[in-house]
Amino acid sequence: MLSFIKKYTLQLFKVYCREFKLILGDVGIMLFLIFLPIGYPIIYSLIYNPELVRDVKMVVVDHDRTSLSRELTRNIDATQEAWVIGYASDMAEARRAMDSHKCYAIMEIPEGFERKVREGNQANAMLFCESSLLLRYRGFLMASTNVAQAMGAEILNEKINEIAPLATTITDGDLMPVMNVPMGNIESGFDSFIMPGVLILILQQCIILATGMAGGAKRERPSLIGYDGVNEQPSVLMTMLGQMLCYITILLVPIIYLIHYVPLMFAFPMAGNFVEIITFLTPMIIASAAMGFCLQGIVWERESVFVLWVVTSVVFLFLSGLTWPRYAMSPFWTFVSDAVPATWGVEGFIRMNSNGASLAQEAHDFKMLWLLAAIYSVAAYCIQRWVVRPSIVKGYNVYSKVRREEI
Amino acid sequence: MKSGFIAIFRRSVLQIVRRPIYWAAFFILPLFCFMFLSNLMEDGLPLKVPAAMIDKDGSSLSREVTQSLAGMQLVDLTEDCNSYTEARHLMQEGKIFGFFMIPENFQQDLLAGRKPVITFYTNMTYYVPGSLLFKTFKTTALYTKAGVAMTVLESVGATANEVTPLMLPINLSARAIHNPGLNYAVYLCNSFIPCVLQLMILLVTCFSLGQEIKYGTSRKLLAMADGSILKALTAKLLPQTIIWWVIAIFMESWLFKINGYPMHGSWLWITLSELMFVLACQGFALFLFGVLPNLRMSLSVSALLGILSFSIAAFSFPVESMYGAIGIFSWIIPTRYNFLIYIDQALNGIDVYYSRIWFVAYIIFMLLPFTFIWNIKKNMAKPVYAP
Repeated sequence: MLSFIKKYTLQLFKVYCREFKLILGDVGIMLFLIFLPIGYPIIYSLIYNPELVRDVKMVVVDHDRTSLSRELTRNIDATQEAWVIGYASDMAEARRAMDSHKCYAIMEIPEGFERKVREGNQANAMLFCESSLLLRYRGFLMASTNVAQAMGAEILNEKINEIAPLATTITDGDLMPVMNVPMGNIESGFDSFIMPGVLILILQQCIILATGMAGGAKRERPSLIGYDGVNEQPSVLMTMLGQMLCYITILLVPIIYLIHYVPLMFAFPMAGNFVEIITFLTPMIIASAAMGFCLQGIVWERESVFVLWVVTSVVFLFLSGLTWPRYAMSPFWTFVSDAVPATWGVEGFIRMNSNGASLAQEAHDFKMLWLLAAIYSVAAYCIQRWVVRPSIVKGYNVYSKVRREEI
Repeated sequence: MKSGFIAIFRRSVLQIVRRPIYWAAFFILPLFCFMFLSNLMEDGLPLKVPAAMIDKDGSSLSREVTQSLAGMQLVDLTEDCNSYTEARHLMQEGKIFGFFMIPENFQQDLLAGRKPVITFYTNMTYYVPGSLLFKTFKTTALYTKAGVAMTVLESVGATANEVTPLMLPINLSARAIHNPGLNYAVYLCNSFIPCVLQLMILLVTCFSLGQEIKYGTSRKLLAMADGSILKALTAKLLPQTIIWWVIAIFMESWLFKINGYPMHGSWLWITLSELMFVLACQGFALFLFGVLPNLRMSLSVSALLGILSFSIAAFSFPVESMYGAIGIFSWIIPTRYNFLIYIDQALNGIDVYYSRIWFVAYIIFMLLPFTFIWNIKKNMAKPVYAP
């Protein structure tokens, strides 16, 4: 029994050391394990770092030309979201400005705007928004709602005295103040919304890409990579474990950087407990590595991993429910997203990191991650045992295939 | 050994047929992404956002508010909480995306003019459900306020006719032209699907050329083209261009015909845009490969740019709001121009005059590889594989 343990520990140790040497000598894999988690989040965060969409350009077509219509224009211009770049004499001119990409909205104030208000009727004005970008429209919607309400409240107070002099005592000021408290991402910023999720996605993808590429490397010509897969064959399980441990060792610093220092640098929400978050992500890292071992089944050379796997990042981003929430997915896609480690990782991380949930509150996600880790590990073992290992032992590689076909 | 254009073309077709990785890259992955993105967001908006109500008052008025909130299209009041803490915990566990709180003695305070505060909480870590909840909660709160104000005014002698227009004297409605329902799929699919296509074109072009250098077959390729790199590359890439064109035309019909996303312009310009887009992406990939004629490096850069395109091409966050030094990078990405032409020609259906510059950009991308073609030739003549 003791010699059994000793034999396998020794194997594990040997694989661990061998993998370390191989990976440190392989620029491609190091790029995935070091540059990807360290450089990529910075580039990505910088793109969205301004957080808010401010001062989107618009033009005004004022058919009324009264003090009230001018006040409305001034108030819209004064909001954070909109910026009135000028007046247009008619809708045709305004359309031309919009078509030549000079502005993204047109406010049309009809004739008789002020008169209607003075007569005690409702006055209508329209804000036509170009709808290519949701964030721009969202800004205009907020600006127009806020301005209409603020001006409306003022007019209401002026008018009430005329109608019912006594009522001012009740309606003076705000009758029923309404308050909104944004939670988690308190500034409602775009970067703080998307980046925490993306960080976890990057983590999963860099583990899978590195593992996939390492698998491809084992099937290249031995002379190319300084590793002879045919002669060295420790047990499949120990090989997987050794490789996994080796990746985790190398990733230790990038992981801490990803989940602690990136949010710190860019001032993302950080309401979570660091140790609990790391604990929570452990099964996701194991599941991702196991997914990478499964991927090795179809990666026949180092570089195929780019072609086969990079595009999945987009799919996983949507499956995680970050942009399109999971409750609105069809049962089929919910099931598919359940099978992706990053889905649970992203959800749990956002709730812990941004909303300040504890590990105990994320127990369900944590269990699901362990379940996925178990399922993928078993699948990975089968694929390694019956697909990858035999092909390495046979010495099959794309090189001989290409050469054969070429002649 | 046969030489000439036809022979290289045949060889290139055979390479695609023989390697399953090309089947995945040309057909399975892009078509899956097309289908996935449109199907996922089929409903247009993620309606029925799970939310909670904290009614500390329990009066007839507060129950009325709850009822009108529950009747709103966008919200689904799944939970009924007794305290803020309880609701916050539900939010942390992801069961709800926001909650609406009516304070104690709400009705009493309101009618006595003591100005009770209604508060609603939205989880902005999820942007879309958070924003939808915000809109619904705010509307409900304002309706409630208007209703109360009317009751108060009527009680002091004003008539309904006088009071009603006063509740919203200025009505400024914001309309999203050409996408009035704010269909989310229209926003995302029209930009993300071409971007997926760009990513795959960049990867496949660099992969297929890099393979020649990796396995040393590029010398044969050059010999077959009688030493002309232009002939070698054109014949090698033409079969890919044809496949990408078929995919691009399918993508166009998938978006605008099959899914019925807004198409207000001329089919001619959109079709031309898609065809030129394929060539522009191939040109961009050739340029990248010319700068870094190494399989792994060119693929790394293609993957990096291809994935960053989803953000830097400003599909959701506008360029003018980015930092200037970052925003300029959106102009070096072919898919950005595809997006701009789509906005002008399909979504807004304006005159092609306004999009002329975007078409010129495509042509520049097509011409770009000529600057570095000598480097491709040099490396193809002396292929070295660097892992």
